[in-house]
Amino acid sequence: MGGTESIENKLKDAVKDLFLKKKVDIVIGFEKGSLPLTSRPCFIRSSDMAERLVWNASCTNNLAVYLPRFFQKVPRAKKSGTPPPVVGIVAKGCDARSVVGLIKEKQILKENVVIIGMSCQGVIDRRKIESFIDGSFIAGGRQEPGGILEITTGVGDKKKIKVSDVLAESCIECQYPHVENADVRIDGESITASDDGYKAIKAFEEKSPEERWQYFTDEISRCIRCYACRQACPNCYCKVCFAEQTLPRWIGPGDELSDVMIYHIGRIFHQAGRCVECNACVRACPVGIDLRLFTRKLCMDVKELFGYIPGLSIEELPPLLRFELNDNNDFITTG
Amino acid sequence: MSTKPLENPYIPKPVTIEKITIENEAKDLKSFRLRFVNKEDEKAFTYKCGQFAMISVAGAGECPIGIASSPLDEGILEFTIKRYPTGVVTTALHNLEEGDIIGVRGPCGNSYPMAGMENKNVVIVGGGFAFTTLRSTIRYMLHEKNRSKFKNITIIYGARSPGELLYKQELEEWEKRNDVEIFITVDKGDENWKGREGFVPAVVKQVAPGSENAIILICGPPIMLKFTWPPVLELGFTPDNIITSLERRMSCGIGKCGRCNIGAMYVCKHGPVLSYEQIQELSERP
Amino acid sequence: MLKKADINKFIAAVMNNGYKVFGPVKQEDGVSLSELKTTDDISFDYFNFILPPKRHFFPWSELLYKYKDKTIHEAPLPEDKTILLGIRPCDARSFSFLDNVFIDDKAVDPYYQNRRDNTIVISLACNQPLPSCFCTSVGGTPAGKEGTDILAYDTGDSLFFEECSERGSSFLKLYSKFFSTPDQADVQAVKDFIAKAEKQVLSVNIKNAAEKLKEKFYDSVWDKLSFRCLSCGVCTFFCPTCYCFGLYDERDRRIRVHDACMYKGFTLEASGHNPRPTQSERMRQRIMHKFLYTVENFGKIFCVGCGRCVTACPVNMDIRENIVEVIG
Repeated sequence: MGGTESIENKLKDAVKDLFLKKKVDIVIGFEKGSLPLTSRPCFIRSSDMAERLVWNASCTNNLAVYLPRFFQKVPRAKKSGTPPPVVGIVAKGCDARSVVGLIKEKQILKENVVIIGMSCQGVIDRRKIESFIDGSFIAGGRQEPGGILEITTGVGDKKKIKVSDVLAESCIECQYPHVENADVRIDGESITASDDGYKAIKAFEEKSPEERWQYFTDEISRCIRCYACRQACPNCYCKVCFAEQTLPRWIGPGDELSDVMIYHIGRIFHQAGRCVECNACVRACPVGIDLRLFTRKLCMDVKELFGYIPGLSIEELPPLLRFELNDNNDFITTG
Repeated sequence: MSTKPLENPYIPKPVTIEKITIENEAKDLKSFRLRFVNKEDEKAFTYKCGQFAMISVAGAGECPIGIASSPLDEGILEFTIKRYPTGVVTTALHNLEEGDIIGVRGPCGNSYPMAGMENKNVVIVGGGFAFTTLRSTIRYMLHEKNRSKFKNITIIYGARSPGELLYKQELEEWEKRNDVEIFITVDKGDENWKGREGFVPAVVKQVAPGSENAIILICGPPIMLKFTWPPVLELGFTPDNIITSLERRMSCGIGKCGRCNIGAMYVCKHGPVLSYEQIQELSERP
Repeated sequence: MLKKADINKFIAAVMNNGYKVFGPVKQEDGVSLSELKTTDDISFDYFNFILPPKRHFFPWSELLYKYKDKTIHEAPLPEDKTILLGIRPCDARSFSFLDNVFIDDKAVDPYYQNRRDNTIVISLACNQPLPSCFCTSVGGTPAGKEGTDILAYDTGDSLFFEECSERGSSFLKLYSKFFSTPDQADVQAVKDFIAKAEKQVLSVNIKNAAEKLKEKFYDSVWDKLSFRCLSCGVCTFFCPTCYCFGLYDERDRRIRVHDACMYKGFTLEASGHNPRPTQSERMRQRIMHKFLYTVENFGKIFCVGCGRCVTACPVNMDIRENIVEVIG
């Protein structure tokens, strides 16, 4: 078969097995969403709940965003001291890299996380589907074996679209679809790793500073400052974000462009050497700002300057967390 | 459609800080005596005991503070404000000096049922720095124009330590009067403290007069309130005669910004003064 | 009846009378409610606008005053005469809810009131509900008239205008030369079509929600429901009836900006105390506010069923499912 359904069944069986062998207390996975052709995070707490799990190209979220909360003190919790649960997490290549990042940054305990590594066929971009069914909306849809989406449009037409034709840009450019650190592996069809050498970024860098600034300005000026990009990002676990600190207040809360830009610049730079390009920020943005271009530029820089890829190895520390005598330091001028 | 508002409720009125008094040993409680810059603003600002106002420091922001002066204190407004290390506005306020100008917006909220308290015995129970609007009420009741309107007045006031008692000079003056009974207590005294020691609820139990024809106003930290309700109810006060004042973070002070609600009740608009009876009816226990 | 071919002339005449007209403009990423600069890019080919129209009365961020030389310099109150064209009935309905908060009260909000008084709302009846729509479950209909001055029906090559308020009818009188007498058959056809649309709107059983919610304040269901939520607040920003805001000082000025009950800082007090410390309390607040508190205070459910929160949520928190789960 090789379709998503058999992967889905394998996943269900694997999760049931984890519960039966008492290897996990909870599993974060995907269930069917309330809108056509959507999936959403769900929390499986027993083997019989595993039937709810789904696995298909609409499993877009990076579930690692939920992990730190299992290891934090909850304000209302009466007693601390109970050990954190063992959490299983259904992970695509990018999600697993986030998990590794959280382990390295000591937000979660390695021994308390079970990575269920999925073969990833990439996830869909709903906006791309909408452009395929011109003018209408997705009224119904399901994924068939062989990476085919069957869409029912608002006017009742049925359309078949290949998943590969409506993949999210981040998946098209994905260099690490394979889960490196899986504790349990669910095999199936997978997209192949791409290495386009950061073509889009290089092309953007070719533009004049004025053009680049204009692009940044145009994108950022649409921001309504809901901070969904931050909330959806597994890397953004700070208890108080600099954007909301009041003493001192780094940026004003209004819609002045400079304030909005500083928030975004701050957010983007905090991703250097950490961003796994899962695209969660882009999907969360309700006004569709192209945040990926900016973070990807930093991913590229960190890779080229330090040879570091976030989230691949649990042992290797990120460049901004370590110091070496032979670090590239040509930004320091002498004489 | 609707009539134009006479006044923009979001615009503060300028006031000059006339006097700053450090109230406690920890120096995180200061009283600010304010005078309106414009006479017409002063006239328009008519308030009742128990109301609060939004205090603005330009560049820092605004926060709700209970009015500590009495409506009969002509020409001035007083607020006692605690500085929190994490409070932007309270910190800015504590850095100001006499002569500086700040903003006042209000008065906001409802007030203590002053008319309903007339011809009744009044018991005032205060703990910590929640004593401010009670002080306003006491000043109002003890004013020579008003004292005869109220029957016996009993005040029970407690603080953590002697150094944390507010309005020390006034407390002394009230103690000297024979038309008011006052019991001051501290959780723990020091070597110079000759007065009462003990928590407010215990003192209420010991000294509170009967509930006959009486109304009781209670303000204090949540923990004090929690332990004061039972003895007060035991004394026979009916829930509608037990009055308290609530606090919440606020931004607009006029029931619009949506953050100070406890259930459907907006502290800034329907409160801050509520009876124990009203509190019991809330879906959420404050 | 206004021929779509004549709409440009009509709009031009309206603009000539000093109105700013905001209408459905076709743009790269869909049709959005934008200010009409020229009159030739209007499109009635849309389901609903991505962003709720509340910002026309209550902008994301607005200047209240500047503080200079120890004096407050008030920002002038907005006086622009405005037309909002093409608002869907669900969204128009949200205006009447916001009126309850900002106008029909002891304290009137002058910014909101001025904008509302200077704006004529021309809504467009809805003939195609989306899978996320549920207006009929919360008291609306695809051709509802609440909150609007004029309701337009799209008959294909014409728009049929129905007066819904005195302001609406006196406005239409001024432009009567653009209108023809409606063809009754056309109008009936449209109304039939909309009746059909009404049947397509998803129905959610929230009968007696307010009554049932009263019993649910301390229920553990909130912990369960809120666990998936990311506290991003998109639902509140995209909600046409969410109106919470904050007043802030920025350097020399005081501004008012939208705020959200989904944020933990929303109720955080200077002392560090927070009456809504976890997402559980914050989610309870949002649902209780819409389905219980506003019913107690204004007699209305503050949800128009536009479904924006459902589609915009990054983790598909669906208020329709949530309310049903809570009230059981």
